[in-house]
Amino acid sequence: MRKRPGIGAIHKQRVEQERFRGKATELQDNVFEQMTNQMEKFRTNLETFASKHRNEIKKNPAFRKQFQDMCASIGVDPLASSKGFWSELLGVGDFYYEIAVQVIEVCLATSPRNGGLITLGELRQRLIKARGKAQHHQEISNDDIIRAIKKLKVLGPGFSIVSLKGTQDTSDILIRSIPGELSADHTEVLKAAEAQSFTSVKALKSTLNWDDVRCLQILNELLRDGVAWVDEQSSEKMYWFPSFFKPLMSEDEIALPPPN
Amino acid sequence: MEFTWPWEYDFPPFFTLQPNLDTQRKQLEAWRKLVLDYCRHNKIFVLDVQESISLFQNKAIDRQLSTEGINQVLESLLEYNQIEWCDKAKKQCLVYWKNPQEWGNLIYRYASDKGMTNTVCTFYELTAGDDVQNEEFAGMDQSLLVKALKTLEATNKAEIIMFGGNEGVKFF
Repeated sequence: MRKRPGIGAIHKQRVEQERFRGKATELQDNVFEQMTNQMEKFRTNLETFASKHRNEIKKNPAFRKQFQDMCASIGVDPLASSKGFWSELLGVGDFYYEIAVQVIEVCLATSPRNGGLITLGELRQRLIKARGKAQHHQEISNDDIIRAIKKLKVLGPGFSIVSLKGTQDTSDILIRSIPGELSADHTEVLKAAEAQSFTSVKALKSTLNWDDVRCLQILNELLRDGVAWVDEQSSEKMYWFPSFFKPLMSEDEIALPPPN
Repeated sequence: MEFTWPWEYDFPPFFTLQPNLDTQRKQLEAWRKLVLDYCRHNKIFVLDVQESISLFQNKAIDRQLSTEGINQVLESLLEYNQIEWCDKAKKQCLVYWKNPQEWGNLIYRYASDKGMTNTVCTFYELTAGDDVQNEEFAGMDQSLLVKALKTLEATNKAEIIMFGGNEGVKFF
């Protein structure tokens, strides 16, 4: 039987409280029973809701997100279900698992170019392009992608989500698909370079108030990681980031395996 | 149809030989592909290094690959057997967007389709004749043609012949 976090917690509490027997226990039993019933009701309602609105959840990303938020508020995580909640609900194989696999494919294909760092915006564009050729057209949102990636994180340290500015702007969220930490300093430099997809020691010094040594060190680390390339034909060395350099949706030169 | 330049061509650092070796490897790979694709598209069989400078520069972004960079690209192409020098001075090279063996097979298929086996055909007919105008090997440089035919000789599918001052080939 699948574990229900909400009820589990309540069970625990009950066991604790049984240790301190007293008249109060009777009263608490009633309250406990009420709460259990309530949770049951919630869960049943949720499942009824899910099947009733199955099409809406399938087709509408905003609706899907609201549904998941609803689940979260009562401690239910459909993604954690081993029974394949989503495959039962949507009937098309595990929706998020599918996205996760496609995310891996896109990241593998683009990582020679961007050093394993891709903006959420570009990732989504490429996913939509790849999925568009498949039979079932389900619209996927940024939220769907992030959830799928979080699912991936459970499998290993390979994937991480880097937020540059704490906004929901898709070019401010980067997906890193190779292991290794991006330090706070690295993130600061990426933030500074994002707008024009390049930066320089001079620019960093004025934007971040760092000294020469620090600027150079971080830039060299980004060069070493393959995230930045250097241009020496300008008045000073410029450091460019393929991750931010106009994504190329018009070109099909990044080949993805055909969707099945 | 216009040639489609790869994204790297508009990327300024593409024209600076990258200090990071892993990145340089990716850069050289992209340059090799660009050279081959460009030659394939424009039916260039022989590349003259001096004359092809425009391939290694992008005026729109005011960048060009240094001499050292160009040499590295050519070295890399040589390493992958994608070019072969015509002269010791390394001024010109054959560009193998198809290699001699692939050319040999293509030409042989053409010859057998046209029922040309057991007849002699001149080099001129094979590269400049009216019948071959739509073939990929039309206009092929003669030294490349000879290399292609030699691969056929090695498998007894053809024999290069000299007759009356003309060079020709007999297909079997």
